[in-house]
Amino acid sequence: MSKASFETVLRELRASAPPAPAQLRERVRGLPEPRVRAFGFNRRPALAAALAVGIAVAIGAAAIQGFQGSSDRRRDSLGAAAAQVRAPTPKGAPVSPSFKPAFGKRSDQGRPLLSPLIPGSRLQHYDVSMSARVEDLSSATKSAVRTTRRLDGYVSGADYSTGRSTGDSRLDLRVPVQHVQQAIARFSELGTILSQQIRVADLQRAVDGLDQRRLVARTVIAELEAKQRRGELTPAEQAELHGARRLVARLSRSRASLVSEGTYAKISLTLTTRKPAAKQTAPGRFDRFWSDAADILGKEAIIVLYALVVAGPFVLLTALVLLAEHARRRRADSRLLEEAA
Amino acid sequence: MAEEHLDDVYRYLLYVTGDPHLAEDLAAATFERALNRWRRFDPNRGSARTWLCQLARGTALDHFRAEQRRRRREDVYAAEAPTGDEASFGEGLSPALEAAVRSLSAAEREVVVLRVILELDGETTASVLGIRPSAVSTRLSRALQKLEERMVSDVQS
Repeated sequence: MSKASFETVLRELRASAPPAPAQLRERVRGLPEPRVRAFGFNRRPALAAALAVGIAVAIGAAAIQGFQGSSDRRRDSLGAAAAQVRAPTPKGAPVSPSFKPAFGKRSDQGRPLLSPLIPGSRLQHYDVSMSARVEDLSSATKSAVRTTRRLDGYVSGADYSTGRSTGDSRLDLRVPVQHVQQAIARFSELGTILSQQIRVADLQRAVDGLDQRRLVARTVIAELEAKQRRGELTPAEQAELHGARRLVARLSRSRASLVSEGTYAKISLTLTTRKPAAKQTAPGRFDRFWSDAADILGKEAIIVLYALVVAGPFVLLTALVLLAEHARRRRADSRLLEEAA
Repeated sequence: MAEEHLDDVYRYLLYVTGDPHLAEDLAAATFERALNRWRRFDPNRGSARTWLCQLARGTALDHFRAEQRRRRREDVYAAEAPTGDEASFGEGLSPALEAAVRSLSAAEREVVVLRVILELDGETTASVLGIRPSAVSTRLSRALQKLEERMVSDVQS
């Protein structure tokens, strides 16, 4: 059969294709109207919407948790700082303010803590311990010694050691109490303060106690010496007079020792050239927010992965079964149509 | 929609079944099914004609399956009953062409009606039949070849 005649056949097929009978047309027209469901929805958009809502909830939960987490931690840190400031100090108890600034450049955070070091009329013992990181250990050590001497102080001990790349120097210094503020201020200029601790012990009470006991003993001595001059001193009173004089002498030595202790402040200064192991910076609120949000998202991802790992084989198996069933059904349909007349 | 595509659905079912009465019944069933499922119709996935042809194919296959089961049941007791009326694939169709079309299987007639009479493109036909477009081309080619051979043999005889 030629191509032209075959085209004719195809045209004949098209032209003679019967229209639907009028009877069928009537039947179709008579079909009832489709029922309208009040809450009908399409599966695909509903699934897409459910997925979108799920993702939005997951991200929203992470954001809220991140926001709350960063606020809570900030509140905690502020509360802790406030509690430290408000912590009551018993009256007369030694004051021990400590200061440990973060590693880094010298800044406001690295300022020496001088406020408790305002020498008043009371006799007090100052014990200062501070450490600083310096660039040049030798010149910093010499500078510290010079400063101490300029302030009428002296070096009671020194330990200086240097290695190939790093070195440490420890100085035990005695500085007059009235110059302790200046000393700390100048030592803090040697480098970056790494830590600082100041202990203040009240000596006045002890000195007052000694003075009181000395006064009593001197009164006793004066009475006994008066008797001695009148020749009325008994041997027992003679012994009592010697004891009282020894007591006064001992009390005077103790008082002198306490006064000496209160005259010079003890400063332990450690200088080092060691670099900090790693720069530690407190994360900001934004960083904390992202960190907390990322944590939550990570946990959610783990849950989803866990669910996938657990349910994955079953889902895969079901999909394979469905695919096999679909293929089998398609083959069966083809066979059915092949066999149909 | 029903009025617009009724002829196409009927022609498809007529070619698949080869029986005008059965095609009429199945076309009515197809539209009934379409009205029940009209909410599932998604214009983004294909035209209404394609969707109706898919429904018509499903209806026809359901019928063939039911017939197959019925025949298996009845074969136990009696021989298969002869088919009733002689089918006609068109009023103006020549007897030779009518006979040639009749000699094709339902699967072959199905692809002929979709590609030649309803003039669907390869992609749409593949979507109706649930096969790849290349399989549609192959199947159509074989069907037309068979039709041609049958026509030639009829002319020669």
